[in-house]
Amino acid sequence: MKKIIEVKNLTKEYKKLKAIDNLSFDVYEGEILGLLGPNGSGKSTTINCILSLLNFSKGSIKIFNKEMKPDAYEIKKEIGVIFQDVAVFDELTVYDNIDYFCGLYISDKNKRKEYIEYAINLVGLKEFIKFYPKELSGGLLRRLNIACGIAHKPKIIFLDEPTVAVDPQSRNNILDGIKKLRESGATIIYTTHYMEEVEMLCDRVIILDKGKVIASGTTDELKALANIEEKISVEIVEFDSKHLKNIKKLPNVSEVTYNNHLLQVIYTKGDNNLTKFMDYLKKEEIAYQKIFSERPTLNDVFLELTGKELRD
Amino acid sequence: MIVFKTFLRIVKKCIFPIILYTVILVLFSSINISTEDNNMNFTASKPDIYIINNDKYEGITKSLIDYMSANSNIIELKDTKEAIDDAIFYRDVNFIMEIPVNFNEEYLKGQELEIKIETTGDYPSVQAKNLLNRYLSTARIYQHLNLNEEDLIKKVNATLENKVNIEITSGLDTSALTKTATYYNFLNYAFLAGSIYVICLVLSSFKNENIKKRTLISSMKINRFNRNLLLSNSLFAFILWLIYVILSFILVGESMFSMHGLIYIINSFVFAICTLCIAFLLGNTIKNKDAINGIINVIALGSSFLCGAFVPMEYLPKSVLNMAHILPSYYYIKNNNLISTLETINLINLKQIILNMLILLIFASIFIVITNIITRKTRN
Repeated sequence: MKKIIEVKNLTKEYKKLKAIDNLSFDVYEGEILGLLGPNGSGKSTTINCILSLLNFSKGSIKIFNKEMKPDAYEIKKEIGVIFQDVAVFDELTVYDNIDYFCGLYISDKNKRKEYIEYAINLVGLKEFIKFYPKELSGGLLRRLNIACGIAHKPKIIFLDEPTVAVDPQSRNNILDGIKKLRESGATIIYTTHYMEEVEMLCDRVIILDKGKVIASGTTDELKALANIEEKISVEIVEFDSKHLKNIKKLPNVSEVTYNNHLLQVIYTKGDNNLTKFMDYLKKEEIAYQKIFSERPTLNDVFLELTGKELRD
Repeated sequence: MIVFKTFLRIVKKCIFPIILYTVILVLFSSINISTEDNNMNFTASKPDIYIINNDKYEGITKSLIDYMSANSNIIELKDTKEAIDDAIFYRDVNFIMEIPVNFNEEYLKGQELEIKIETTGDYPSVQAKNLLNRYLSTARIYQHLNLNEEDLIKKVNATLENKVNIEITSGLDTSALTKTATYYNFLNYAFLAGSIYVICLVLSSFKNENIKKRTLISSMKINRFNRNLLLSNSLFAFILWLIYVILSFILVGESMFSMHGLIYIINSFVFAICTLCIAFLLGNTIKNKDAINGIINVIALGSSFLCGAFVPMEYLPKSVLNMAHILPSYYYIKNNNLISTLETINLINLKQIILNMLILLIFASIFIVITNIITRKTRN
């Protein structure tokens, strides 16, 4: 695959604090790259450095094999950004807002009109084009924010936590829109601290913590790092703690906990672990209400690598 | 072009306050223009007086009454104390004089009996008192010459008939020019408020942190964007100024088609440049749109009151005027007042006006420098 963005040894320092520490990664054409990390991990700073909105202390950034600088207008033409905070004019209608941001890239009026209609349809704002931002709900406002960022049909799109504080319906709408953008050939860099979104959307994920890459790869590759094959959870009202030791001795079990009537058993490897565990419960005549099995999540990976939760 | 187009769209949203400021300007100016008459022509005025004569109507007494009647309006009243008091209270008469019994006889003997007077204390009453004093002092001079009654009266009448002719040599239509100055003084408020409101609103929208970030990462060159924004704002200020100048032609009329009118226009143009710089400074400083209205009130209303846009400078206390020196409006309004009294237009007479215009331009330069410092600091 063609390399579109190349970040090498990027370092950003604020006085004594290193916001980004020797960060290196590549972004390939047509992929959705997820930048995952807790708040303050350096996701937004990385994006701001790539976009030349922030000066960086060390390293280099190349986009389309050219150095990215504040006056690299040819590169900027191909970039669209959707920031975490909504960036629209309160005094303009939905249509006029998209027209302005699209107009910063495209001066041809007819072409712009066509592009605006494309963006409006993509985010589902057709019925609201004459509305002012203050008349829109939070979710619709986020959609407008996205439309403003992608109306000029950029080849690279940066999405910086676009679903923060959005209702589930709008969130699904936004995620569908992002999938459509990928289908249209755009390369997407998606930052979030919602691991479900990353798992759902991203081809590759880079996990950041304290400005450093702590892991990168596909979601499956990352989950393999967690040293967890399966997590079995059982709701048991009456449980004798003597069973904990016995369960721990079962093959491939690495950890057993019982809290608030919930027994959790973690398997590092093995097949048919759930069936085998249910056989054990039957044999020991332990009554249970619900039982379910989970594959490891990226949060487990993060927990394994850093000892803390993603949303800490 | 998109920047200009968006600028217009935002201006369209705040057209109501601009119309409101213009209506205030037209309304206040019209009221002032229609009521103010400062023409330097002189017209004779006569006080309203009432004479109570207790003497016989002859000799000096007759001469005095005739003189007072010729130079005043004699009012007829009922000869009762109540009617006389009411007339003074309601200012139906300005001056009441009571000639005592045997005034003529005693006067010829060299004894001047006291003439009782009652006045309203206003200007016409002083005028009437002056008439009486003038007659009595003239008569007193001739009395020393030991003339007979007939000659004395003749001499006094002849002396009092002398009048000074006053000719106004100035061709200046001060009334029209003062009206023009009134309009342009009011313009201080309307123009300051209108331009600061719009430019601040537009700039605070464009300079909103998130919108600015989007603009910075776009393919539009930042210099081009800034230039377009600057031109859009300047064009707006120019159009607003032009509208107000056209309105001055409609409201004030003829005097605008003169050299004086041209100087008023130039002065207001220099002030418009200064206002534009103030608006830029505020637009780059104010982050909160809700604060704009408060700031307009402080700047536009405050400077209009302190610098004599609403109340003429002559009526303002010296301390207020001293403080007003630090405001550009002071020099603009001072110039308007100077233009209205400009007899002949030459370099010597224009010196002070040009100096005030230069001060306005220095103010504008200072505002530009401060704006640049703030912008650079914010950018860093």
